[in-house]
Amino acid sequence: MIPTLSRRAWIESAFGATGLSALMSHEAFGAAPLGPHFAPKAKHVIFLFMTGGPSQMDMLDPKPALAKYQGQRPSTVDLRTERVTGGLLPSPFEFKKYGKSGIEVSELLPKFGSVIDDVCVLRGVYTFNPTHTPARSLIHSGNITAVRPSMGAWISYGLGSENKNLPGFVVLSPGNGGGSLWRAGFLPAEHQGTQFNNAETEPDKMIRYLKNQHLDAAAQRKQMDLVQALNKDHADSFGVDALLEGRIKAMETAYSMQMEASDVFDVRKEPEAIREEYGKTEFANGCLLARRLVERGVRYIHVYYGSGQVWDDHTSINKNLKKRCPDMDQASAALIRDLKRRGLLDETLIVWGGEFGRTPVSENGDGRDHNPYGFTMWMAGGGVKGGMVHGATDEFGFKAVEGRVSIHDLHATILNQLGINHEKLTYRYAGRDFRLTDVSGEVVREILV
Amino acid sequence: MKQAFLIILLSVSAFAADAELFEKKIRPVLATKCYGCHSSKLKSPMGGLVLDTKAGTRRVIDSGKMLRALQFTDTKLQMPPSGKLPDGVIADFEGWVAGGAFDPRVDAAVAVVASGMSIEKGRQWWSFQPVRPMVAPVVKDRSWPKTKMDRFVLAQLESGKLAPSKAADRRTLIHRVTLDLTGLRPSFQDVEAFVADRSADSYERLIERLLASPQYGERWGRYWMDVSRYAEDNPTTEATNPAYSYAWRYRDWVIDAVNRDMPYDRFVKMQLAADQLPGATRSDMAALGYVGAAPIYHKDARLSKEVIENLASDDWDERVDAVTRGLLGLTVACARCHDHKFDPIPTKDYYALAGVFASSPAVERPLADMPPGDERRFLWIQQRMIHLNYLANLLTGEPGTKPEEAKGKVVRFKAEFAQLRKELDAMGERYPFVKKYAVRFDPPPQRKAGDPPATRRGNLDRSSDAPFVNAVYDAGMYVDGSDGDLTVLDFQPGKARDLPVFLRGNSATTGEAAPRMFLAVLSKGATGAYDQGDAGRLNLANQIFRDAGPLAARVMVNRVWAWHFGKPLVPTLSDFGTQGEKPSHPELLEDLAARFIESGWSLKWLHREMLLSASYRQASNPRADGEKVDPTNRLLWRMNARRLDIEAFRDSLIATTGELKMDGGGPSTDVDLATNQRRTVYGRISRARTNPLLRLYDFPDPSQHSPARDLTVTPLQQLFVMNSAFLESQATKLAVKVEAAPEGREKIQDLYRRIFSRDPSPKEVDLGLSFLNGASMQQYTQALLSTNEFIFWP
Repeated sequence: MIPTLSRRAWIESAFGATGLSALMSHEAFGAAPLGPHFAPKAKHVIFLFMTGGPSQMDMLDPKPALAKYQGQRPSTVDLRTERVTGGLLPSPFEFKKYGKSGIEVSELLPKFGSVIDDVCVLRGVYTFNPTHTPARSLIHSGNITAVRPSMGAWISYGLGSENKNLPGFVVLSPGNGGGSLWRAGFLPAEHQGTQFNNAETEPDKMIRYLKNQHLDAAAQRKQMDLVQALNKDHADSFGVDALLEGRIKAMETAYSMQMEASDVFDVRKEPEAIREEYGKTEFANGCLLARRLVERGVRYIHVYYGSGQVWDDHTSINKNLKKRCPDMDQASAALIRDLKRRGLLDETLIVWGGEFGRTPVSENGDGRDHNPYGFTMWMAGGGVKGGMVHGATDEFGFKAVEGRVSIHDLHATILNQLGINHEKLTYRYAGRDFRLTDVSGEVVREILV
Repeated sequence: MKQAFLIILLSVSAFAADAELFEKKIRPVLATKCYGCHSSKLKSPMGGLVLDTKAGTRRVIDSGKMLRALQFTDTKLQMPPSGKLPDGVIADFEGWVAGGAFDPRVDAAVAVVASGMSIEKGRQWWSFQPVRPMVAPVVKDRSWPKTKMDRFVLAQLESGKLAPSKAADRRTLIHRVTLDLTGLRPSFQDVEAFVADRSADSYERLIERLLASPQYGERWGRYWMDVSRYAEDNPTTEATNPAYSYAWRYRDWVIDAVNRDMPYDRFVKMQLAADQLPGATRSDMAALGYVGAAPIYHKDARLSKEVIENLASDDWDERVDAVTRGLLGLTVACARCHDHKFDPIPTKDYYALAGVFASSPAVERPLADMPPGDERRFLWIQQRMIHLNYLANLLTGEPGTKPEEAKGKVVRFKAEFAQLRKELDAMGERYPFVKKYAVRFDPPPQRKAGDPPATRRGNLDRSSDAPFVNAVYDAGMYVDGSDGDLTVLDFQPGKARDLPVFLRGNSATTGEAAPRMFLAVLSKGATGAYDQGDAGRLNLANQIFRDAGPLAARVMVNRVWAWHFGKPLVPTLSDFGTQGEKPSHPELLEDLAARFIESGWSLKWLHREMLLSASYRQASNPRADGEKVDPTNRLLWRMNARRLDIEAFRDSLIATTGELKMDGGGPSTDVDLATNQRRTVYGRISRARTNPLLRLYDFPDPSQHSPARDLTVTPLQQLFVMNSAFLESQATKLAVKVEAAPEGREKIQDLYRRIFSRDPSPKEVDLGLSFLNGASMQQYTQALLSTNEFIFWP
């Protein structure tokens, strides 16, 4: 007989009086979370990733000396990188002081300038590899080879998820490739980033298998009720088993995730004014979805700008930046403003940057080469000071000379804001304890509230 | 300001309280109860553990061993040996650890450097000892054991005051063992025949039938390929690390070797050195894919010599890791930057092994015979032409600031390329397969107006059935940094490369020479360095089984045990060193390892010993007494129930319609293609893009050795079951198959027989009929395929 009880009543009768929410406990899907180790400042991280390496001198790190020595290669600094480069290339973009803090921002990013008092600009970041793939691996996983767990997987492993209907580590990327960047590596597979394609606006196109192509909710519920009735009889005859129970629960989660994800991943449900504020581009949708996911308790959201190495401007950099910056500027500024308005900025850490920056000297006449020695990232919210500049590059913007922040330091700081001691977040694998920060990493205390 | 002051005050008083706790309650206990055996001042502290340093103490706190030892809950770990400390003292330690284990001691610099185990001491380590068959222990219940191993299992159950579970019913048993040996469910007819067969040897005959079926090799070959991290491309695919077009031949070789029960020692030797092993045939060369299709990283010629050397040493590191963890259960890769912190493995040993792989570069070897001199020349030309082509293209596309110089280099590279091409053509006159191979170096065909646009073949589709294998040959890999602008790879056939120790893992700072040889702690007799003329792969393979045979046998027996029983005897499958865990049944492991060697390293012998046991035939249902005494089933009071892995799950789904193809190997097919009805083991395995369906069901990352799969149960998997086109189309096909039956009742019965290999109960028929009143047969079929019963392996 098909159970005639209502769905909730049926589930309650099937599992005792505990009800569905209690069944969705973390333990059903993996080990209990390890952290936090101390009171966290932030509960969520949104990483806005500019694949390819955006140019600091044109956006966030003004260098008047470039104009002064235009076309020259001053002997005081060794400006060599992997490729052949020419003389210093000044930025054609004007920098203006913004906000109470008076931080200088390029004319490419006027909207970002308007929220600068909520942002901490890190001008002394550096990395350890000049090539895209290894450097990208490093900023994602703390290691240049593409095998270790991604930061989002570490955070999901360390803190668990706040919403059992959604994955703890969400990736919003229009590209198909890049799976290795959000891998769980040796961590349990449930911590792997789940990718959603933000080039689509319809949730069932974004999420594999989210929607049944033929059945409506009622018909599918009926089908699920049959499956669960058969499962219950099977479990009764076999005996109490974690795997059987776990799958019964996972099936209910999947069923409700269809509704929850259909809702949360649908930017069209936002008021028109909000969508206008972000802009209606692919990246804007990614930023807006990130906010919606934060509201539903997702821990870590990685938003990629475009697909491929879009910020890798070896040629025609000025033209390209003019084309690319407006929607990036609008959406990232809107994200900061919107989160603040909703009182969520304090508990959400936004991080912006690429795998490295670019050279102050030209390549191919009107481009810039990769620069791992010094570049700019920024953070906002999540217990990081606003209206602050931390660190500096040399007078040309090539090497980080003050307030130097390595990728390991960056990771240590992000974990710290989540209440995680980066030295204690370890996983035993292949005979030793691994960490996101390998054997280094210092929390950048100067920038913390 | 005021707030900051308060915090400082608080933390000062917290500091004082912590210090007081440590000085009054903790340090005196450590000093009087522990330092006697665990002090850095002792010549050899017990267990290598020191508690008079902050670092040493930290180690046992972090591992949880300190509290466990004090609490006396673990019978194997109880400290101090004189007896349990008073509860109050243990509570002090618990409070201290919970509060962060404040420790004001300052270690002398030397004290924090953990020193590895010496070679002499290491030789005493349990897993390195010789193995011999053990006398089976006396058990009370003499009637239960069926094979020798049962007596070891039963003895421990009896001492744990647990009885084994009753035997599984015959339906469960045939399901269990058919899935186990073939990765497929038994058919309804098979089940019925087995249930009806009451002859004494029916189970034995079932096992023999399954072991003799080709599906056995497909199942057990796949298990091995997790260990050997089989894949068909690299994590990134660029000019110097293209995809492996013939890797599938390695997969087919493994399946065939397993089906033929190739002795395990020979099976491994083939994979390391089929090109030198006496008696190996030319087609065995495919086995070299174990090294020759292992992951490598791109070497961009614009990077400095130092960076290229470091990238190359990452490649070698991967092989050292796969070989030592995979075959020997040792984490030798930990010794890349410093002597192993815990195991008797000096850095020099690491580089001695790495040299073997620095002398074994990946090449495409012909499947046809070729005299060694010609073959070596052909392989070198192949490598050189690919590299010259890459360098010429690089400099043509990006000439840099010295365009004239670059142009000159391009001319030189192209001239050498043309010269080698001529040589290759001359060779092609004698060897047709060389002629065919050389075509790849032709310039791309001129495009005419009106031609359709060229489509670039995706990364994933590079497989070829030309007569070649992805393998290795003996040539030292050197890095030529003499041109300041271009770093060139230089392969020198017949000149193996001995590495020096790279201090802290950095190739730019080298230490003592580390000539290629086997791990010192495992070497028996003369431990000479390997010959200069070849890489030493055969020496390495021989020493694994001659010098370290007992260890290799223990590691493999433990893996096979885990694949049969769902849980290993040694939980750390690829770490049998000092940081690994000890076996749950030490004597059983010894006995099986010894008899595995005696059997001639026969996997089929090992299968029979395990599958015929009463331990294996137990029911897997939960039991209150077992759950209470031994919740993790360490003692094996029941069989472990499991979830099907993706291979068995997908294959079983397709098999329900009777359309699963059983015709074996050849180039791979994507597993999620709707038209692909081949077994999952023949699916394409990519390191760059792990197939999302495989990943969804916990397929391991093929960029590194995988000791075991961590089988999860997640909501996203259920979305696949509920909504994927794959499940829907299987359900549709299946619904069509049962249309012929006249009545709903018979349709339901037909479906149950196809899906669950059994008849439905009256209640299940009623549920089905009631559901079908308002829903389609397709919906019903999909519901049945979605049930726990279908993915459960009891």
